Amino acid sequence: MADFLQHIINGIATGTIYALVALGYTMVYGVLKLINFAHGDVMMVGAYVGYATALKMGPGTRTSFLGAVVVFLMSMACCAILGFLIERLAYRPLREKPRLTSLITAIGISFTLEYGFQLDIGFLPGAAPRAFPEIIVPTEWLIIGDRDVVLWNWQVLSFAIAVALMLVLQYLVFKTRFGRAMRAVSFDHRIAALMGIPTDRVIAITFMLGSGLAAGAGILYAIKDTIVQPLMGLYVGLKAFVAAVIGGIGHVPGAMVGALLLGLVEEFVVGYTSSTWRDAVAFGFLILVLLLRPEGLFGRVTAEKV
Amino acid sequence: MQSVQATAKAVGLPYGVRGILPILLAIPVIGLAQWLLGDLPFVVYIASIVGVNLILAVSLNIVNGMTGQFSIGHAGFMAVGAYTAGKFSLQSKDLVISHLPAAMSDQVLFLFALLIGGCTAALCGFIVGLPSLRLRGDYLAIVTLGFGEIIRVILQSTEAFGRALGLAGIPQWSSLFMVWIWAFITVLAARRIAGSSHGRSLWAIREDEVAAEAMGVDTTAYKVRAFVVSSFFAGIAGGLFAHFVPIINPGSFTFVKSIEVVVMVVAGGLGSTTGAIVASIFLTLLPEALRSAFTAISGNAEIAQRVDQIRMPIYGLLLVTLMLVRPQGLFGNRELWDVIPRWIPRRRRAA
Amino acid sequence: MSEVLLRVEQATIHFGGLKALSNFNLEIRRGDLKGLIGPNGAGKTTAFNILTGVYRPTSGNIFVAGQWVNGAKPHQINRLGLARTFQNIRLFRALTAIDNVRVACLAEASPLISAERLDAIRRMGGLTGRLANLLDSANDYYDWWRALALTPGFQREEERLTRRAEELLKIMGLAHRRDEEARNLPYGEQRRLEIARALGTRPKVLLLDEPAAGMNTREKSELMVLIRQLRDQFSLGILVIEHDVRLIMGICEEITVLDYGETIACGPPEKVRSDRRVIEAYLGDSYLDTHPEAEQAARR
Repeated sequence: MADFLQHIINGIATGTIYALVALGYTMVYGVLKLINFAHGDVMMVGAYVGYATALKMGPGTRTSFLGAVVVFLMSMACCAILGFLIERLAYRPLREKPRLTSLITAIGISFTLEYGFQLDIGFLPGAAPRAFPEIIVPTEWLIIGDRDVVLWNWQVLSFAIAVALMLVLQYLVFKTRFGRAMRAVSFDHRIAALMGIPTDRVIAITFMLGSGLAAGAGILYAIKDTIVQPLMGLYVGLKAFVAAVIGGIGHVPGAMVGALLLGLVEEFVVGYTSSTWRDAVAFGFLILVLLLRPEGLFGRVTAEKV
Repeated sequence: MQSVQATAKAVGLPYGVRGILPILLAIPVIGLAQWLLGDLPFVVYIASIVGVNLILAVSLNIVNGMTGQFSIGHAGFMAVGAYTAGKFSLQSKDLVISHLPAAMSDQVLFLFALLIGGCTAALCGFIVGLPSLRLRGDYLAIVTLGFGEIIRVILQSTEAFGRALGLAGIPQWSSLFMVWIWAFITVLAARRIAGSSHGRSLWAIREDEVAAEAMGVDTTAYKVRAFVVSSFFAGIAGGLFAHFVPIINPGSFTFVKSIEVVVMVVAGGLGSTTGAIVASIFLTLLPEALRSAFTAISGNAEIAQRVDQIRMPIYGLLLVTLMLVRPQGLFGNRELWDVIPRWIPRRRRAA
Repeated sequence: MSEVLLRVEQATIHFGGLKALSNFNLEIRRGDLKGLIGPNGAGKTTAFNILTGVYRPTSGNIFVAGQWVNGAKPHQINRLGLARTFQNIRLFRALTAIDNVRVACLAEASPLISAERLDAIRRMGGLTGRLANLLDSANDYYDWWRALALTPGFQREEERLTRRAEELLKIMGLAHRRDEEARNLPYGEQRRLEIARALGTRPKVLLLDEPAAGMNTREKSELMVLIRQLRDQFSLGILVIEHDVRLIMGICEEITVLDYGETIACGPPEKVRSDRRVIEAYLGDSYLDTHPEAEQAARR
């Protein structure tokens, strides 16, 4: 029973991180119909920016509330800019070309980031994992039994931050004019342009939002794992994408549900078998969903006009 | 895409001969190369790596290029071929077929190992392809990536395959001749597919799937078949690889390897077998050449490591630049042999 | 009476809340030349899409060559004898003209296990249907092997295929464009190539979706003659969607008129031409009020 509870806690913790990244995937897919393979790596960059900022601050400042906030904001801002640049330089010129071209480009960017960060030239950190400096002093907030079930403060904080960010996003997408513009663009970007919506700007901002969220996720993940390394984005990115597909790609709340589901399933499988199967779970889940219900839990089946 | 028959017809060959002729011609030519270069281990090694990459690129081109699908898990099928063939060879390396000298017996066993590896990979291709090829392009990419990873995880957790340490001691039966004969066979197969009605159907699927279906092409079945053939040759490549490297482990068949092959196919031009050949040779030799050059110039081996490290992000940038500047790659969808036949005088077709 | 090649009974399709086609009925026999007209968005192409298996009808039945085909895949329906062209030309653009036709001229011989034997197996009932399909796949894999090995049988078949494709190109007046890439052809020739390609599948019924769109008057009359010739030469049943009402009235024996997915008229050209509902659909009911002579004709 204790194990069960622990798995649930861990599953939700992992799931919320996946959710933050999945939201970026699903939003970008919604407006561009593109799987941004590089998204997970933007998360990685966010973690590194957070690492650099926290390191610069010194142990006293960074564990303070203000310090932590600065770390987050710095990281999210930098990644927003990165996302903007990627969209502007690599995806926008290819928007009218066949989708395969953009897909290959996305893989190229992902590769460049992953392996670029493995070099140790100039500001590039190199392949060795580095310890992420503490920005939250880990404290056990809840213990059941004799450490049978442990709930850490950073897990709760992580969950709270993730949920807060998701709620902000929900509000943005469904209650603001900008959100309406986003949804219009996701239906048909040419028609949206004809309706007077500044499509380019909407897409750019969507990218920036997604990247910002990914940065937040990156820092939360680094806190959880206590290390940063250049390939951390690869698997998280893939799993977040799986989560987005499970929920129905393009569907914002669906991405969150899918991510939590995936986090829990992953925890339980690893808990009751062994950790070697961790990564395979996500792919297995994906294949199952694509075979049985490719549009995802909440997705709509769209018919192609012939 | 010229019909193969067009050239053969021009030269006036009977039907029965046309099928087997190219291989008959290739054997002595490659045999000559083997005789001249076979004693230089460095050359053999480089040539083998080039050959393996060539087979991978040309076979992936059948699916990604000719059929217009997007598979990025090719390394998984290579792994299946490598491990299956390797396992077979490990079990049978002490066997000797009666009436044959030892060396020849080994080569026969080697051929068996390769075919077993190839067929197992083809079977995996069938299992993977059948459900996945119904999916839209972007999803197929993720699924093939996923299968590649699942295969790797399975290999990593199975005792019989040596887990993370892999298989060692596989008899090193490979030779320049074997690798290049198979490279030739792969290119021949790709060319014959392209010039046949099957190849045309694949291209039709690439151009317009809906129209192809409306014209009676069972698109899913065709895609699966292309996938199976492509996986077969990936398995062969893996099998060959296993027999000229000292150890194989899951690390040799990662997502990175799949992407390397994708880069070769895309850079050469999606759909062009010639492009895949040229790109695979170039992109395999270039880092080797750079590595040797830098080591020679600077005198220390560290530079070689650097080259390897820089190679990766450069591949990434190469893909991006290629898509922005010349998405059709080097050759687009043209072949060298589409151009050459015009140089051969032909009988004029009856009006 | 000639055989019924295509029969549609009360075909209906909904897209969410939208009723794109309601209770559509049609019968095409060998030698028929029928038309399908209606204002934009009336559901004509949707009807084609249902007939060819792109969409599955929500209700109703479709029979091609006597077989019930609801939900069958387009290539299966094509094999039964139904071929089509597309409203927005969908040629294989990077392929040459002859290759476009050759794709459609798929070989019919089953190299390993003959079609008769497969049918016999299927008739045994139960799971043997699946077994027959499996064996048919064996046929396909063997055919790939023949292509790889370049067997004489395979080469001969490819040549037969090529000759047939060349013949079709000649009939459509495109022989001189044999090796030209489809995307380089002028518009009118692209439309003719689409028809040649459809003919390559040896259809019994040909569905032409706006074959004359974008053509000038001379080309249109040539096309009219050609369609009739094809009908006679290949013993086809033909259904044409067109916007050029004069063209349709000129060649079709029976015309069905759709509006908002419903059939508002069906009959010979003279009857349809003066049908009140048809005039209203195309010209608006205010037209009848302001043009008494049309009102007169409609009432007769």
